[in-house]
Amino acid sequence: MKTEIKQLTVTYREDDHRLLALDRVDLQLLPGRITALVGESGSGKTTLGKALLGLLPPAATVDGQILLGEDDLTALDETARNQLRWRRAAVVPQNGAAALNPAYRLLDQVAEPLRRQRGVKRREAEERALAGLAELGLDRDQARRYPHELSGGQVQRGLLAMALILDPPLLILDEPTAALDCLSKNHLAQLFRRLAAQQKSLLLITHDLALARQTADQAAVIYLGRIMEYLPAGQLDRARHPYTVALYRSFPGMDAVRDLGGIRGDAFYRLLHAHPAVNVQQHRTCGHDHQHLVTPASNHPEEHAPPGADEDGHAPAAGCLFAPRCTQAEDACRREAPALNRLREPDAPQPDIDQGHEHQIRCRRGGIIDLLCCRKTSKSYGPVTALHPVDLELRAGEVCCLVGESGSGKTTLAMLAAGALEPDRGRVSFAGRDLADWRRRDPLGLAARIGIIHQQPAEAVSHRFTVFEIVAEPLRIQRPDLDAAALEQRVLTSLAEVRLATQPEFLRRYPHQLNLGAIQRLCLARALIQQPQLLVADEPTSALDPSVQAKVLKLLLELQIEKGLTLLLVTHDLGLARKIADRLAVMEAGRLVESGPAARVLSRPAHSCTARLIAAATTT
Amino acid sequence: MNTRHQPLYAYLLAALVMVGLSYGLPLLLPGDYIEAVYGSSQVVLDAEQEAQLRQELGGRKGFAAHLWGLVTLDWGHSLALQTPVSRLVLEALPWTLLLLGTAHLLALVLGFIAGVEAAWRRGGRLEKAGVGGATMLQGVPEIGSGVLLLLLFAYHLGWFPAGGATTAYAELSGGPWLLDVLHHLALPLLTLVLAYLPGNFLLTRAGMVMILGSPYLETARAKGLPPLRVRYVHAARNALLPVLTRFGLRLAFMITGALVVETIFAYPGLGTLLFTAIGSRDLPVIQAVVLLAALLMLLINLGLALLHRRLDPRIGHAL
Amino acid sequence: MPSEFNRIRRDPWLTVGLLLLLLLAGLSLLGPLLTPHDPHDMSFMPLSTPSAQHWLGVNDGGMDIYSELVHSLRNTLWFGLLAGVCGLLLGATGGLAAAWYGGWLDQLLMRLADIILALPAILVLILLAAFFRPDPAWLALTLAALAWPNSAKVIRAQALGLKNQLHLQAARRMGASVGYLLRRHLLPELFPLYLVALAAKIRMAVFMEATLAFLGLFDPARKSLGMMISYALKYYYLEIWPYWLLPPIICLTLLIMGATFLAVSLEKFFDPRLREL
Repeated sequence: MKTEIKQLTVTYREDDHRLLALDRVDLQLLPGRITALVGESGSGKTTLGKALLGLLPPAATVDGQILLGEDDLTALDETARNQLRWRRAAVVPQNGAAALNPAYRLLDQVAEPLRRQRGVKRREAEERALAGLAELGLDRDQARRYPHELSGGQVQRGLLAMALILDPPLLILDEPTAALDCLSKNHLAQLFRRLAAQQKSLLLITHDLALARQTADQAAVIYLGRIMEYLPAGQLDRARHPYTVALYRSFPGMDAVRDLGGIRGDAFYRLLHAHPAVNVQQHRTCGHDHQHLVTPASNHPEEHAPPGADEDGHAPAAGCLFAPRCTQAEDACRREAPALNRLREPDAPQPDIDQGHEHQIRCRRGGIIDLLCCRKTSKSYGPVTALHPVDLELRAGEVCCLVGESGSGKTTLAMLAAGALEPDRGRVSFAGRDLADWRRRDPLGLAARIGIIHQQPAEAVSHRFTVFEIVAEPLRIQRPDLDAAALEQRVLTSLAEVRLATQPEFLRRYPHQLNLGAIQRLCLARALIQQPQLLVADEPTSALDPSVQAKVLKLLLELQIEKGLTLLLVTHDLGLARKIADRLAVMEAGRLVESGPAARVLSRPAHSCTARLIAAATTT
Repeated sequence: MNTRHQPLYAYLLAALVMVGLSYGLPLLLPGDYIEAVYGSSQVVLDAEQEAQLRQELGGRKGFAAHLWGLVTLDWGHSLALQTPVSRLVLEALPWTLLLLGTAHLLALVLGFIAGVEAAWRRGGRLEKAGVGGATMLQGVPEIGSGVLLLLLFAYHLGWFPAGGATTAYAELSGGPWLLDVLHHLALPLLTLVLAYLPGNFLLTRAGMVMILGSPYLETARAKGLPPLRVRYVHAARNALLPVLTRFGLRLAFMITGALVVETIFAYPGLGTLLFTAIGSRDLPVIQAVVLLAALLMLLINLGLALLHRRLDPRIGHAL
Repeated sequence: MPSEFNRIRRDPWLTVGLLLLLLLAGLSLLGPLLTPHDPHDMSFMPLSTPSAQHWLGVNDGGMDIYSELVHSLRNTLWFGLLAGVCGLLLGATGGLAAAWYGGWLDQLLMRLADIILALPAILVLILLAAFFRPDPAWLALTLAALAWPNSAKVIRAQALGLKNQLHLQAARRMGASVGYLLRRHLLPELFPLYLVALAAKIRMAVFMEATLAFLGLFDPARKSLGMMISYALKYYYLEIWPYWLLPPIICLTLLIMGATFLAVSLEKFFDPRLREL
């Protein structure tokens, strides 16, 4: 049986407004496949699960189609829907033991659908229930226990046995492993695979990205009731949508070594007001300040478009839902609602429905962009080849660490990337534009986007400048229109960001009166004051003592989350790289020998040089 | 919601306290037992009667003898009515049991079903009216509703008898007798049901509303079970527990009203007997009625606690 | 809590309950100013119907019914308040002490509470009243002694939760005394519970007082609503009954209604677990 959800929209009525829980969701669940539905809490995952059983509360309005085989659940009356429940689709509900009636034994509850739905005699129903439970490793004694007498894993298996008792073609798993230890979790994951092998369709609702990646075939990422990305579940670590990437970075999996990220801001509720003039209002759920983005309906037909209508039919749209939290959102993102498109092929026709979903993404910019792209870039100094042709991509919002021995060409590559050096051959593009060309046409605009921190801080600052002048210099150069007060304000902010003093006396000091650590931070403040998109830093913390280094690195990571700052960091310190890098690029003798997710590179190095570096780092 | 019952020993100790009071209170009165118990009543004993009594009772009894007396129905002698107390009490007891038993049964069943159905239709107009009406009714004491019902249906309209449990000297039997009994029972019964039903209704409804939002109920619905089965087998059964627990706690409160209702309708049960005895300060009768009522109540509470244990597997099956 | 206070202010049950209680309390306090008669003055024409002199007529004993009613109301209210407030004080003290000190005191208090909860209060009161004919105040205090365990248990449970909260532990580490903690933290935070318990207890006490009076367990010279109903019921065949029987019934019903509405409303907003019916 194929399950198809077409343009499903669910709103909840609440007092004077309506809450949009699902917004034109398309999803297919094919036999033999596990589909993971991932997203933050409140994104509509559970609503979708309930809708598949027709169990939404009376306050919910449903539009669109839910096809369980041939039957459209939304078109059936309650009696007919009740006929389909548990036969066509069964659910393993979340909440574990709370999902079982405390007053009855597990066995009775497992056997109940057989008896009431199929009219099986008590004795036989119990035998079959016992067999089903035994298959999941629950013996006769455990089957006769009350829910409160079972462990979390036993309850979960009991719930699964109950869901399987009528052998339904569709199984909905709502956070099935939320409260389980990882052994039980793995056990269940294997079970799910076995069920898929029996040609069942499984919908795995979860916020556990590791489980989704490990268990599911495909994944649908949902944000505020809207599907943001479809992708093969195995590629969740290479997801493209900024939301998915941020979600993945927030997830404490064993395959990430760096510190947890997060997603800036909070999720909103989507409230549709009954008042005709004010159609869309978005609320912070638990933010400190309540921000109401009220938009007149006339400008935004998308939000009150008749569900089922093709969204491309609406010219001006309300913008991307994720834009307020997205670090790479442009003005256009706030104006135009992006359509769901096949990755990198915006002009391609809608994907073939019968093939399920390939990698599709709802992002105007096609997902996280490659901010920096080096193609066959090489550099020689006279007869010495400092850099052999190198390919390197840097995705927006990523922290990439260049590691390698001294003289391996790290600094050369970094400076090429920053546009501080011209490559001999090959090209470097930044934000989709050729770097060299950009610098010729708009040197100031480019300079403002790329911040550089040099290896020798003391030499990077003019000794005739005061602290204030040093930090203010980039702005003085690029924004001569800025008045003195604004300039001072930004200098002070920048200094405070790198934890430097902001008193007037300090501002009047000269570099020679400062120690090396302070100068290093001064350089950082100078690089950050122009709010660059890319920060290329060559050993930025080598001159700092560990406590200050920790603070500065934390600051950089915070900027990554809040502003989407992309970092290209040259370091020889693998320990440091391990803590902050999303990606590692290893260099040896002017060649990029290995590049990949930091965790993978560190745990399974593919190149002998990497292994050598790791070995050296662990022994010292 | 507190669904826990009192521990079982509490009932035993409470029973001991009541027996102890019935034994100890007379001792605190001035004078010896006879003087204390009979002296203050409105019945004047002549010397012969007093001598006979003293001989009968053999002076002040010990606690063991008092206990033995309780067990052997030797509860003293009502001088006001010239009858052994045990006979008076045992004559009145069946009528009280009939009245209160029927009232509680009706109020429980009706209140429970109404509560379940109201919760199922929560948010509807009928439910709101039900909750409002029940809250109003809860504020009406039995004294008020009883007297009003008496005035209206017995005195004014004359549909029901104004007192008694049967028509005196009618010598009825079989069907007509039963009808006669029911005819007499109707008004006090209605008063009590009106007093008990709202509490049961509101408690059931509150419990049900909580259960209706619980995950296991959603599971039951997802299983495609027939709606009545979901409502009663899965939801209502669990809503019954707090109602039962509360029933025990409310019983002491409810008995208060029952005493009054019997008196208002001159129903020949324990309440009326107590009223008469208080009127003539017939202390042995008061003592016996109070003790019997208390022990019966404790027994019912004990039974409820045991039932609760059976119904709620989380408490455990062992006593 | 503040949001609950805001919502509860709009609850019609609360408004009606408060109005009823204030109205009746006002009547019992100001009523005597409107009539010059002493309720114990037996010098009037027995069983005369209402007149300008006697608003509700005169009863069988030649006493002015209106004065009787006003005094009864006052007595009943006084009994209810005394029993309710004392019961609450006992309950709060017991509950807080049990929660705060724990150990044997907690065990003792809670076991005692279990036993008292099992005791039928009205029957104990009847026994005491029949044997000793005590002063009504003593009966009210006895009732309070029998009614405290319910609120003590609720308050104890809440206080136990509070006791472990961080801000309280912080205050303890700052060296706050038990008295300070009780005064500044526990007592105010549990305030809504007291309101709920007080309303429920007053309701129960008024109901019990009416019953005891109806059964004739108070001194006949003490006016009370229950007793008035009991006497008036004997004369239902007389023309005067609507003036004699109905007013105390209405007053009593409104009184209990007021307390019930208050209890129901407070309960709904502050504590769904606490229901003293």
